[in-house]
Amino acid sequence: MQKEAAIREPLILGHKTYHDITNDVVNPIEEKAPKTWYLLLAISAIVGMWGIGCILYLIGTGIGVWGLNKTVGWAWDITNFVWWVGIGHAGTLISAVLLLFRQKWRMAINRSAEAMTIFAVMMAALFPGIHMGRIWMAYWVLPLPNQFGSLWVNFNSPLLWDVFAISTYFSVSLVFWYIGLIPDFATIRDKVTDPIKKKAYSMLSFGWSGNAKHWNRFEEVSLVLAGLATPLVFSVHSIVSMDFATSVIPGWHTTIFPPYFVSGAVFSGFAMVLTLLLIMRKAMHLEAYITNKHVEYMNIVIIVTGSIVGVAYLTELFVSWYSGVEYESYAFINRFSGPYAWAYWCMMTCNVITPQLFWVKKIRTNLFATFILSIIVNIGMWFERFVIIVTSLHRDYLPSSWTMFYPTFVDIGVFIGTLGLFFTFFLLFARYFPVLALNELKTILKSSGESYKNDDAH
Amino acid sequence: MASMNKKYWKGLDHLHNTEAFTAQANKEFSEEVPVEDFLAKQEKESAGTSRRDFLKFMGFSITAATVAACETPVIKSIPYVNKPEDLTPGVANYYASAYYDGMDFANVLVKTREGRPIHIKGNKGGFTGGAVNARINSSVLELYNTARVQEPWLNGEATTWGKLDAKVVSELEKAKAAGKRIAVITNSVVSPSANKLIADFKAKYELVDHVTIDAVSYDAIRTAHNTVLGARVLPFYDFAKAKTLVAVNADFLNDWVYPTAFTKGYAAMRKPETGLSKHYQIETNMSLSGSNADVRMTMKPSEEGVVLAAIYNNIAAKLGGETIAANVGDWKQKTAKIADDLIAAKGSSLVVSGSKLAGVQEIVVAINKTLGNYGTTVDINQPLNIGQQDDAAVAQLLKDLNAGAYGAAIIAGTNPVYTHAQGNEILKGLSKVAFSVAVGEYADETAANCTAIAPDHNYLESWKDAEVRVGELSLTQPAIQPLYKTRQFEDSILAWTGSADSFHSYMKATWKSKHASLGLLGLADDFWHQSLHDGVASYSSAAPSYTWVESWNAGNASVAVKALQQKASENFEIQFYHKVGLGAGNHAANPWLQEMPDPITKVTWDNYATMAPADMAELGLNLEIGQELPASVVTLSVGSEQIEVPVFPLPGQASKTIGLALGYGRGNNGENIGKSAFQTAENGDHKKDVNGNLMPIGVKVSHLQQAVNGSVVAAAFGAAVAKTEKEYALACTQTHHTVMGRESVVKETSLAVFQHGHKHEYNHEHTLPVHSAANGAEDKPVTEVDLWDAHPVEDIGHRWGMSIDLSTCIGCGSCITACHSENNVPVVGKDEVRRSRDMHWMRIDRYFSSEEEKVRKAGGDFDYGLMEEPEANPSVVHMPMMCQHCNHAPCETVCPVAATTHSNEGLNQMTYNRCIGTRYCANNCPYKVRRFNWFNYKAYRKFTEVNPSQDEMGRLVLNPDVTVRSRGVMEKCSLCVQRIQAGKLDAKKEGRPVKDGEVQSACAEACPTNAIVFGDLNDKNSEIRKMADGDRAYNVLEEVGTRPNIYYQVKVRNAEHSEA
Repeated sequence: MQKEAAIREPLILGHKTYHDITNDVVNPIEEKAPKTWYLLLAISAIVGMWGIGCILYLIGTGIGVWGLNKTVGWAWDITNFVWWVGIGHAGTLISAVLLLFRQKWRMAINRSAEAMTIFAVMMAALFPGIHMGRIWMAYWVLPLPNQFGSLWVNFNSPLLWDVFAISTYFSVSLVFWYIGLIPDFATIRDKVTDPIKKKAYSMLSFGWSGNAKHWNRFEEVSLVLAGLATPLVFSVHSIVSMDFATSVIPGWHTTIFPPYFVSGAVFSGFAMVLTLLLIMRKAMHLEAYITNKHVEYMNIVIIVTGSIVGVAYLTELFVSWYSGVEYESYAFINRFSGPYAWAYWCMMTCNVITPQLFWVKKIRTNLFATFILSIIVNIGMWFERFVIIVTSLHRDYLPSSWTMFYPTFVDIGVFIGTLGLFFTFFLLFARYFPVLALNELKTILKSSGESYKNDDAH
Repeated sequence: MASMNKKYWKGLDHLHNTEAFTAQANKEFSEEVPVEDFLAKQEKESAGTSRRDFLKFMGFSITAATVAACETPVIKSIPYVNKPEDLTPGVANYYASAYYDGMDFANVLVKTREGRPIHIKGNKGGFTGGAVNARINSSVLELYNTARVQEPWLNGEATTWGKLDAKVVSELEKAKAAGKRIAVITNSVVSPSANKLIADFKAKYELVDHVTIDAVSYDAIRTAHNTVLGARVLPFYDFAKAKTLVAVNADFLNDWVYPTAFTKGYAAMRKPETGLSKHYQIETNMSLSGSNADVRMTMKPSEEGVVLAAIYNNIAAKLGGETIAANVGDWKQKTAKIADDLIAAKGSSLVVSGSKLAGVQEIVVAINKTLGNYGTTVDINQPLNIGQQDDAAVAQLLKDLNAGAYGAAIIAGTNPVYTHAQGNEILKGLSKVAFSVAVGEYADETAANCTAIAPDHNYLESWKDAEVRVGELSLTQPAIQPLYKTRQFEDSILAWTGSADSFHSYMKATWKSKHASLGLLGLADDFWHQSLHDGVASYSSAAPSYTWVESWNAGNASVAVKALQQKASENFEIQFYHKVGLGAGNHAANPWLQEMPDPITKVTWDNYATMAPADMAELGLNLEIGQELPASVVTLSVGSEQIEVPVFPLPGQASKTIGLALGYGRGNNGENIGKSAFQTAENGDHKKDVNGNLMPIGVKVSHLQQAVNGSVVAAAFGAAVAKTEKEYALACTQTHHTVMGRESVVKETSLAVFQHGHKHEYNHEHTLPVHSAANGAEDKPVTEVDLWDAHPVEDIGHRWGMSIDLSTCIGCGSCITACHSENNVPVVGKDEVRRSRDMHWMRIDRYFSSEEEKVRKAGGDFDYGLMEEPEANPSVVHMPMMCQHCNHAPCETVCPVAATTHSNEGLNQMTYNRCIGTRYCANNCPYKVRRFNWFNYKAYRKFTEVNPSQDEMGRLVLNPDVTVRSRGVMEKCSLCVQRIQAGKLDAKKEGRPVKDGEVQSACAEACPTNAIVFGDLNDKNSEIRKMADGDRAYNVLEEVGTRPNIYYQVKVRNAEHSEA
């Protein structure tokens, strides 16, 4: 067993025993769900269905039901895509990178963060599909042997890299998440009495018996997957950023994009984790496990990544001026003073100014303030992608083609719909899945549990 | 080997090959299978179905059931029993023909495929030199308009030709017997045969008045010449000889007199290398001609006379001559330079005016006469036959009609109720005629009010001849069997004269006699056949003798000038004009033309008032027009008339004036002229008013034209403008108006700088600093700095390319409609254009200059925001823009499925069936020329009323060589790859290389000024190679490194900086 420095704050508060942990996590699964859960699920599902309806209308009628035009070929679709992929960064970062760095505080949050990652990546993956003019030909982006002749995909295209990056990231994240779930499913299986649930969880737990050999393999696989997932955290958004960076459009054609996008992704991912966890903590009474310290740690990550993003914004501005390239400098002048200046300043305020408030300890340990700021950060990050995509496109090289972009109800419907679907999935997760990695938590109970630290365990 | 053939016996019987064994071995089953027992039971003896039969039955049943389940599509195609000569499926035939509608004339070639006309292009051997405008090359679509009258009508009911003819003849006889007059109202008849025919008709019915009513009257020019020359001539203006050109409110590139020929002539003088004319334009609205002027000044319609008087007086002061008594004010000084330039180019200068006042036109005559332009730029020896309208005769007709003097009227090829300022009077007059018959293609505003309609052929179904200018004969021949039960006007007249002849043979006879009377060499038949083949024939005749008046009396002029001046007031003045797209309104139902953006405003599908932005700001009207930024609607009050129109801010519009286009508001009273002439709602359905009637696009304004000194002018004075609370969406293809000082997009210079001959002064190369071992850094041309390997297209095989001369491009848009026609470009309608989703493969970018650009050029501190504002009287650049066929195409690298690739002939190709529609290519295109199929344009209901390919007849115009694109794929200019392939194939069949000029893209072919040159850059002697190597050649956005195959030629203005 590891020893932890006494000055470190405990990660599990109160007098928790192993049994308490099991109960705290599994009881909600066994009990009847509260009314609010049903209410929230109904709202999310309805919003999600509306989104699906919009998507069906889109596929049935044509991309023209969106507000895109000859100049702005991507707008909310790819904005949403990048936004959701960005959000999908926190989970893997928390579980993989923090695992490699042996950050024990990840254990309380990694499960739900990873679930959020999976769901966010699912939402993200929707957009490259539905934004295609002919979605029924979407499989052509895969390098499949075919009978069309010598047709092959274009390996020069960043969109193709995207296909590989996203699908790899999604599958590794999913496997990683599921492997972590197996011991916890087994615990539920052993605890629940309802025969259907028992059957279901025993299937889900893949015959986990908890013997030493299983644990040994579990640890090894986790480490290997963490090693695999860590580079993916950085590669996915680097590659997404190359959709823009490798183009010739002023405002897109920027070498700063990969690191800038990755830190932006972590930034928004942590914000989304915070938004969800702060609600879940309250609703599922997990205050003992998700403590103020956890929130503070995450807020620190937000300060760091937010500051990187801020520096990136300023670097972009500087370089656009310093390069002396007419189009490049106009693209940025247009961002902050053109017709979409409101979006730019919204982004600047939300992403650069607000996270700096977390330098104040009072704010970063205040849960309500954190909750509000986490939402603001995600609004800001949505606008960041909107600013990059739309304001670069709407006024590029030839002034004759300059236009504005106006979203239609379908643009809005699809976006809101993905939020609905995301929350639907998350609510189902919160209800039927172990929301904390309970078996992992048990490993730190004796080193980081409050009562053990204070030596007042009974 | 022996071991391989080792045989194993199945037993001793086998070894010995006994009889019993052989019998057994031949049986399939060792024991008897009682198939028949269970198949046939009792019927065993009678039926005797064997196993083989069973299998046969089963096989048959299964096959029959399967076959019955599949329905073979029934394709009814009837093969030719005998293949018609010259008709090979898949091979286009061209017929030389001519287009004439009373306003436009051009010698054309009609392209037909499998018997359908699908494309119109200029006949380069014709008198118009191959020039066509958008109205003419789009006219092919009008052939297929289902709103054409498809059978004769009498008293509002369909009838047969026999009954109609009987009725017409009896009515004519009745009128004749009653001693009443018969009116024949036509547009200017330029056909020698038709004129003869009308003479025959007159001879038969005696009391016949043939009155010409055109959409535009040139009576003033004819009257002015009558005054000074004693002959009502309309001279031919030779723009190709005009070194200094002054046009006063005359849009000679668009609608003035003979625009096709004038455009051709004008272009000849707009090549900086061979001499650049100096073009002054003084006008109210920013016209197409004005946008091409080297120096443009603005004036009010009421100043029309004063300006010309000032020019004249300035000239007369130097060259002598009577001066005009008029208060010219500051125009004396403003036109001083113009007068000097005119005098300097004496004998090769030209002044033209669109004035409808004979007195004012007299000044024009006097100026040209004083300058010695008659005989050089102004030709009265071979004058024009168009514009025959005699305003006095029309006035007399109106009076007589209303007095009930006419017993019958025949109205053909003209729509005076709509086009004429006193259309309502004409309508009233017509109602007093006992019997009126309209000959035309549509039940239009005039025809709908006639007793009978004798539907006319489209010109593509007709035999016609024309002599637009004396000595220049043209032929129109049918390119298709008549689609409906129509009959051409001339044949109707023949029938009504009681002749059994057809106009075809009548015309041949006329030509035969013409051949004889002119004393032409050769056989008359050969003359006819050669003329039919060429579409044209010319002859020279003795110059008519004119007697100029001894000394010109400036009295008329001074009266006219003063009369106009007196019209000036504090209020607004309206100048009426014709849109480049719709002309006089006869093309209102042509969706190609409706969707073609106006060359100046870039607005489609609409009529609107243009006003100076400064005036609009004063009235508090919306100055920004965009997708969600509608135009303000104002009430224009002219006399007792009031109309509501949206207002478009147009820089270059004279202060306190309004420009308003004629030709809109067609079908106001529910006349069926074609579905595209009516407004559509956002969902694509026709908009309906409270009474359920279709709402026409725009408003009819011809009746607002006022008379000055008794002559109707294309203007209205004392108009009051009142802002309403209403707003109205306008659909523009371009919402940003300046080029933002981007010199790598548009390069322009002055003639003086160009003539220095130093390329770097006006067309400098872009360089990039690169590392060099010797100096640390050196500047290298961007063309030498590249991440990519060059495509192996240089000097190997073909490398197709294009050159576009910004100096000669006038922005007329005929390339846009030619491209529509050639490439089956969908029409998407107003709402989609408003959403910036126009599908034009070829577009013309129009940039206005701004004051701030000059500040920038001078190196001062500038503001990008101010640069977005065009100046009050801007100079204009028209820049055709289409796929640049980049050798390092940004679109090609980003497509995930390689749907857009580079050909080994330098083309950037789009493979529609591979495209999955990610639109990444469009985003990454620096030129924004890629067009996405947002909807299924050929089937989605939003486009039913506008897209010809959704129309049963309209789809006949589709070019079978070009795919109609499906939903969700990207498309763009292909450099007419189907033509390239056809050209290569022709050359291959003949075993020779492709000749320069043999393959032409549709736009290059349609360009009336030859600004677009297409060809093979690898052909060292080709025109395109020369253009691409020229000093003026540059690639747009060269520094991006896309290495386009499209070259632009620097625009050279013949203006000093102080003027431009």
